[in-house]
Amino acid sequence: MPVISVDHLTKDYGHGRGVFDVSIQVKKGECYGFLGPNGAGKTTTIRHLMGFSKPQEGKTSISGKDSWEHSAELKNTVGYLPGEVTLPQGLSGTDFLKMMEGMRHTKNDDYLKMLLDKFDLDPDISIKRMSLGVKRKLAVVTAFMHDPDILILDEPTSGLDPVMQETFIDFVKEEKERGKTIFLSSHIFHEVDASCDRIAIIRDGKIASEFKSDELKASHDRIYRVTFRDEQSYLSFIEKPFRFTSKNHGKLRARVQIESNRVGELTGCLGDYNVADFVEIPFTLEDYFMSFYDTGHHFEGVSR
Amino acid sequence: MKVTKVFSVPLFKQSLRANRVLLIACTVVLCLMTVVTTYAGNLIAGTESTDYTDAQTDFYSHLYVLAAYNEMAGTELSYEDFSTTDDQSMYETIFEMMSAQSEDLDLSVEKFAESAELLSESDIGLDVYIENFEYVYALGATEGVFTGNTLDVSTMMTNMFEMMGMSSDLLTTMTEMDTSAMLNQMYFTIMCLLPIILFIIFAGNALVVDQVDKGSMACILSTPTKRSAVVITQMVYMIITPLVMVGCGLIVRLLATRAFTGEVDVVKFLALYGGIYLLAEAMASICYLASCVFNLSKNALALGGGLNVWFFLCSLLGMFGSDTMVSMGMGAEMLGVFNNLTIVGLFDVDALGTVGSGAVDYAFVPKLIALVCIAIVCYAIGAVRFQKKDLPL
Repeated sequence: MPVISVDHLTKDYGHGRGVFDVSIQVKKGECYGFLGPNGAGKTTTIRHLMGFSKPQEGKTSISGKDSWEHSAELKNTVGYLPGEVTLPQGLSGTDFLKMMEGMRHTKNDDYLKMLLDKFDLDPDISIKRMSLGVKRKLAVVTAFMHDPDILILDEPTSGLDPVMQETFIDFVKEEKERGKTIFLSSHIFHEVDASCDRIAIIRDGKIASEFKSDELKASHDRIYRVTFRDEQSYLSFIEKPFRFTSKNHGKLRARVQIESNRVGELTGCLGDYNVADFVEIPFTLEDYFMSFYDTGHHFEGVSR
Repeated sequence: MKVTKVFSVPLFKQSLRANRVLLIACTVVLCLMTVVTTYAGNLIAGTESTDYTDAQTDFYSHLYVLAAYNEMAGTELSYEDFSTTDDQSMYETIFEMMSAQSEDLDLSVEKFAESAELLSESDIGLDVYIENFEYVYALGATEGVFTGNTLDVSTMMTNMFEMMGMSSDLLTTMTEMDTSAMLNQMYFTIMCLLPIILFIIFAGNALVVDQVDKGSMACILSTPTKRSAVVITQMVYMIITPLVMVGCGLIVRLLATRAFTGEVDVVKFLALYGGIYLLAEAMASICYLASCVFNLSKNALALGGGLNVWFFLCSLLGMFGSDTMVSMGMGAEMLGVFNNLTIVGLFDVDALGTVGSGAVDYAFVPKLIALVCIAIVCYAIGAVRFQKKDLPL
């Protein structure tokens, strides 16, 4: 039985916004990445998993329980980090942590202290005076403080400095090793690439693709960049029946995308030309991701 | 696996903390208003209760005797001379002489001094009384050349006011005007109500919709706390805090009244403050409803805040259309329409003020029941709606 299940979820906010027939299954102990640009429907999906919204069609469930009906009960085992962190006003960080402990009916000072040390957080100042990064760290600590089995993280590293991003990703990996089930949404390739077993790409509210991140790395097209010494070589090479992802006449340089089993064909052919440089461009999730947006689609908010 | 279904103590504490400054500020304003109003009411009541007519008559009798004697004997006796001179034997002889002449008169130096002292305690200066006497004396008992009616100072005054365009009816109402009742009405529908309304609007907004709009509700709902617990906790807050404010107002009112006048009609004030509490709850429930139904702070403020401000302004306008104000010439009858457009009108200050007295006017009972119904319906709809709606968190 999947721990997190989104079953044909549809929620139409009008104007083409929302999610349409999204289905996702996350097994126990798995880290699932949910990738898409802003406004693609990541947060909407998570909203349903958290029981903040009621599905129009389909259903969402966690541990086999409907996430709308059993919303409150499920929170005992779910840790949630919202994409936009807003904390209650007029409290100090310590007060807030105490309040959350009270609301969760848990008290584990050692674990809390470990988290505070790990994220280098001193909560003893007023939330009003905290910087965005500190607020995010506080939200991270509150999401993990009851040591939940299931983690739902909405764009978890945004607002954290690079060092903290590393710390966070390491922490997510550790949690995964401890057997936690993790659902992580992001528009940042790096954090998904680094920690997730399976990845879904969502675009305009629909799942565009779902794949295992290992598979992607193992069996995909290779991209090579070839630079020539003279113009003649360049001109005749670009006439060859390869798939060129870019051509640069000024620098006499071209990029070729080729299936892994045809690489020999390319190298054999290159012997006939005056080649100055031959480099493989490592394939990343970003390239894969970009391929969904290449087709003239307005591309916004995606950054590395 | 513990789930909070009904009431969340940490959330209640957080609500108290987050709004404590607002609560304290509004309560302090309310209490200050209460003290000021009680003091003012006491002043008004004070001037009304003491009757200076007897003292004035006594005082004038003495002055008349002095004036008459001055004319006869060519002396220059006056109150000023009387009060400053060391030798009062002259006055003593005159007063004794006059008292001996007429049985109606009972004049003496002591009575003269006593009546003067009494009059000087009134708001009107003694010199004004003396000047007034001079007019009275100068006019004497004259008859009108055409009518033959007696001309005296008071009819002259009425006549002069009529010349200036003020009706004699108005003069009568002005002298009989029940200023303390008006002050009471103003206190309960303006000075006491305004701080409560302000608190209700802002707190009502901050409790639910603002947290949804800003997103901090996500923190609350990411814990095993049911939405029912959220709405009930915040509802309890909205029920308790106005009670605290009104309670503080009541205690201050009772203490201030006791301090200023020495006696308190506890039952009457309990009824009045109970009434304003029910009004506050009806208003709070409207803000709460708006707060639960909307996802945007500004929309909730527009409905909840707007409606309550409208009610408040209507009651202000309506006051100028009330019978008392119209009969005083200070209002317009058509403004009375506004009394029907506000729930403040359901808080019947006049009728509630009769509680504890001999003749209780029970007109307030159905009105208060209506307020309770508004509160119950709005709280219920708000609470149910919040549990069923989608939250943009």
